[in-house]
Amino acid sequence: MTPPQGTPSSLASVTRRHFFSRCSIGLGSVALASLLDRTGAHALSGATSHPLAPRAGHLPARAKNVIFLFMAGGPSQLELFDYKPRLQELNGQAIPDSYLEGKRFAFMDSSFKNKSTLLASRRAFKRHGASGMWVSELFPHTARIVDDVTFIRSCATDVFNHAPAKLFMNTGSSQFGRPSMGAWVTYGIGSDADNLPGFVVLQSGPRGPRGGAVNWGSGFLPTTFQGVPLRAQGEPILNLTTPDGISSQRQRRTIDAVRDLNLQRLVETGDPEITTRIAAYEMAYRMQTSAPEAIDLRGESDATLALYGADRGTPSFARNCLLARRLVERGVRFIQLYHTNWDSHGGPGENLENDFEKVCREVDQGQAALVKDLKSRGLLEDTLVVWGGEFGRTPMGESREKTGRNHHIDAFTMWVAGAGVKAGAIIGETDELGFGPVRERVHVHDLHATLLHLLGLDHKRLTFRFQGRDFRLTDVHGEIVTPLLA
Amino acid sequence: MRPFPKISSALLTALAFGAFPASGDYLQDVKPVLTRHCVACHGADQQKAGLRLDTAEALRKGGDSGPGIVPKSSGQSLAIQVIEGAHDSISRMPYKKPPLAHEELDAIRAWIDEGAPAPANEAPGRFVHWAFVPPVRETPPDIAAHPIDAFIRDRLARENIEPSPEADPITLLRRLHLDLTGLPPTPGEVDSYLGDSRPEAYERRVDQLLQSPHHGERWARWWLDVARYADSNGYSIDAPRSLWPWRDWVIRAFHEDKPFDTFIVEQLAGDLLPDATLDQRIATGFHRNTQINQEGGIDPEQFRIESIIDRVNTTGTAFLGLTVGCAQCHDHKFDPISQREYFQLFAFLNNQDEPTLPIPTPEQQAARDWHDTRVRRLEAELKALTADTGNPPAGESFGKTEAPAASADASSGAAKDAQDTNTAPDPARIRSELKRLQRSRPGVDTTLVLVEREKPRESYVFIKGDFTRRGPDVTPATPAVLHPSRFPEGRLPTRLDLARWIVDPANPLTARVTVNRVWQQYFGRGLVETENDFGTQGIPPTHPRLLDWLATELIREKWSLHALHRLIVTSATYRQSSHVRPDLANRDANNRLLARQNRLRLDAEIIRDVALAASGKLDRTVGGPGVYPPQPAGVMNLGQSRREWLVSDGGDRYRRGLYTFFWRATPHPALAVFDAPDAFSACTRRLRSNTPLQALTLLNDAAFVELAGALAERITREAPPEGRIDLGFRLCLARSPSPTERARLQDLVRAEARDFGEPLAWQSLARVLLNLDETITRE
Repeated sequence: MTPPQGTPSSLASVTRRHFFSRCSIGLGSVALASLLDRTGAHALSGATSHPLAPRAGHLPARAKNVIFLFMAGGPSQLELFDYKPRLQELNGQAIPDSYLEGKRFAFMDSSFKNKSTLLASRRAFKRHGASGMWVSELFPHTARIVDDVTFIRSCATDVFNHAPAKLFMNTGSSQFGRPSMGAWVTYGIGSDADNLPGFVVLQSGPRGPRGGAVNWGSGFLPTTFQGVPLRAQGEPILNLTTPDGISSQRQRRTIDAVRDLNLQRLVETGDPEITTRIAAYEMAYRMQTSAPEAIDLRGESDATLALYGADRGTPSFARNCLLARRLVERGVRFIQLYHTNWDSHGGPGENLENDFEKVCREVDQGQAALVKDLKSRGLLEDTLVVWGGEFGRTPMGESREKTGRNHHIDAFTMWVAGAGVKAGAIIGETDELGFGPVRERVHVHDLHATLLHLLGLDHKRLTFRFQGRDFRLTDVHGEIVTPLLA
Repeated sequence: MRPFPKISSALLTALAFGAFPASGDYLQDVKPVLTRHCVACHGADQQKAGLRLDTAEALRKGGDSGPGIVPKSSGQSLAIQVIEGAHDSISRMPYKKPPLAHEELDAIRAWIDEGAPAPANEAPGRFVHWAFVPPVRETPPDIAAHPIDAFIRDRLARENIEPSPEADPITLLRRLHLDLTGLPPTPGEVDSYLGDSRPEAYERRVDQLLQSPHHGERWARWWLDVARYADSNGYSIDAPRSLWPWRDWVIRAFHEDKPFDTFIVEQLAGDLLPDATLDQRIATGFHRNTQINQEGGIDPEQFRIESIIDRVNTTGTAFLGLTVGCAQCHDHKFDPISQREYFQLFAFLNNQDEPTLPIPTPEQQAARDWHDTRVRRLEAELKALTADTGNPPAGESFGKTEAPAASADASSGAAKDAQDTNTAPDPARIRSELKRLQRSRPGVDTTLVLVEREKPRESYVFIKGDFTRRGPDVTPATPAVLHPSRFPEGRLPTRLDLARWIVDPANPLTARVTVNRVWQQYFGRGLVETENDFGTQGIPPTHPRLLDWLATELIREKWSLHALHRLIVTSATYRQSSHVRPDLANRDANNRLLARQNRLRLDAEIIRDVALAASGKLDRTVGGPGVYPPQPAGVMNLGQSRREWLVSDGGDRYRRGLYTFFWRATPHPALAVFDAPDAFSACTRRLRSNTPLQALTLLNDAAFVELAGALAERITREAPPEGRIDLGFRLCLARSPSPTERARLQDLVRAEARDFGEPLAWQSLARVLLNLDETITRE
């Protein structure tokens, strides 16, 4: 047999002949035909077997992408959004027993050695925008976007320790090993990005979120769907960079030779997995260029950087917000930003005084800029921005070195903005102490159901069979929050 | 291929369903079908759509949608329309299950068209789930053939499908080596096999591989998945733990072919066996693979209970293939396991302490003895010095200090001690020395075990699975749907009783579940595809008679897994080519009938092992603490607690993937990216994903790049230039390249040598070889 001179096209024609004479029924022949017809580096993404190929959900989609701003540690709604004048009056008094019956809290021993007393917020609140939403002085930038945002003041979750609660917010279960929402979404509808992962995670703040990578894991779904951390500095994705001493020309030659030999094996065995592998190598190669490009802010104007309060080189939440916009522009389906530390117990580095002011400053401008920037570029119509932590904080104070509040699961505030949701609405209300919701309670499962709905997915039909059961993001719960929908 | 006679369709049906012809006889042909497929939802227990199908009379009468059948007109009969999926508004039945076989449908049609005669006084058909009935051993259909082939080919013949030819010898040998040891054959091992022209060369190789300690390693990993093994505690803090002695116990057990029933009993209750040996106590580490939550602010009892629940669920999954976890919060929706029965199982597993067991090596013990002797001597000295003043000696943590300073048992350290104490006795100096010693007591190996408590804890139902809501008290008992327990009277049954009940040959599940999971390793899919659900929601076996034959064979062979491995890998079914069969694309695209082998991407650890073996770097040491091969910078930052990853030196840098230290929160990326399980719950089947991140790992990960360099050096060292492509190919793939493949690689090497010089050309060749789909695939 004449050597194919290493050119993909001559090999492909040999391959095609063999393929169609030997195993034309063995594979999706359309997929292979398109694979072989377009042998250039770029064409292989067309292989239909790619698990992240975009596809329609169950319903018409209102949103294409999601940016989830995860405030890790549980931000205090009582210092930011849930204004409670009554709490001011009752400052220092014991909380009525009726509120505590049957409740469990984290740090039960330390919290209840001395029965904890109500703690007034020392932050000044004002009404903002047409909706008249209360926002505290700590979020001056966010206060200016309230009319693009819907606040949910009645969020509730089930678990009160950080790691399980974060898992619960991300996977709908406090058990390890379940897929995260980004994984479910890309499993459901794939991604428009053909040279970046479909689910990307960005982190900022002093430490990683509790629980780590399981928060964006794929659980029992294939690993294709797991979140890929995009690192702010150095190599953006693990193993993205061609090894030292290997030029990009050599890398390309290596990949070409791998592809040609894999094609040979495909002809020999007829195994469609080889088609997928060839496509995966091509995407990997493209990612080597596209991921560094995506995080390279040299093309962003000074005005844009000033809007976010970011600078081109220094990692920060603001910079990650800008990166999130760039990822949306590149078709990434689900982007999650984690920022720590919101765990304001009152201990060192975690008080509701200067520490809380600091973390508020770290996020305020960037998150507001993100919404404004998306809007001015017409991207907010297709992009859903979600803001919130794994739970909120108690109306009672904690007695540590400085002021703080304990974890609270009954009522906390989240906000959403953009595709398919109302602009400038307020959902839910809490009692006079901010302890529990008095109307329109929105449970994590409801939030998940709504998020999937906006993306065109029916949360009851998006299932995966594992250990003998059809699993869902919403377990056996979840109601769509219709007041939220535009 | 044996000749396939032309036979009538009636005979085909008879072959397909045991012994009955499709005459349309109700009791023989119709009722068994309805009972098997329909009565679970339309019978005495449930009457979905107001319908029962457990008697002919009930079928005639029908349910909410009208009469089930129109006698003498199968075409107009609702039941037929629905079973065919031809009805406008009712889903195809059985709902979300495979459709009835043509023969089954034909039998029902024939019976209806004959007027649907029904027996008088018919007893309602009662659904008994196949997996809850003990396996029945049937004689294989062809007693001259290998029993596995007899069953598989009998089924293929009924579909008029020919099996595939045997794989070519080298492909088969590589398959065998990878399946039995997780390592590819070396070129020498290939040559010796090809050169062995005596009969039964293959069988001899099988026996050799089963004797290899690497067989123990390869199959230990299979069990570690089920056991959710990791080297850290999990949850958010994820501190390291020492449980590798248990992992090594598993390796030894598979290496020595410990009978699988003993293997199970020792893991569940080794501590309760009479005169339990150290090894039997180490074995109880199986259930210490649960996570431990060390986060602040938690309620420890909550997480102790979480771990017991994990143990109950894992016990159900690992040995019974049942989703008992569903019954934690409510009676099982589909399987006959009540919430009460769930907590009766819980009660078996709720009575243990969870200590750390020191297991010093002789050297460690000697070092510690010497240290302790010294401490006792110093303490005695101090006591003597301070006796007058009445000052208490500082720090007294090593028990009674009766050993006199100059006792005869002073060890080889005595001389050194004499030196140390040469100066005048000074209490302050002795105290500070004691303090130092107490901080530096030599460590010993430890492992985590279970130890039964003297007095059992109280167990009770948790209402809705919530541990704060106490329901009725329970005592240990086994689920009523399974075989009866024969527990001794007069005392509460223990974990040991539970373990013995699990391996009781009367248990319809354990042997079936075990052979099915072994089968799955060899073919990529079990005979029961839902390898972790043998309950009513699972998918029934493709080859029920083979499954039962293998299950009874396992017991007959005294639970020897080596015998089972040998049986499977010597079958022609196993030895077939794995090439996709175009002729079966429409008839059996997923290869459920096994007319060929399957190509299977290797497990994460073995992908590493193949690269290590090909490059010649593999360190074949068996067992020991986890090791730290290179990994990309920054991985450890992803967890909540930033932990160190100090890359191992020497041989430990090149150990098999199974020994890579496994942090649950931050697993080694090259393992995670190739679908190594997360160790949070029992994993009974790995996914096999195929992603760009895998490509980046093989192309760019420093560990693989290093091994590619080593492979390039090796072929440069071991072969002349014209032989290097072939040698590299054989090291990775066992076979030699085809002329086309060789030519393509020559092109690469030529171009690289021209542009970058020859040494780099061999490096590029090596990288290509380690990245080939075939290299990371068992064909």
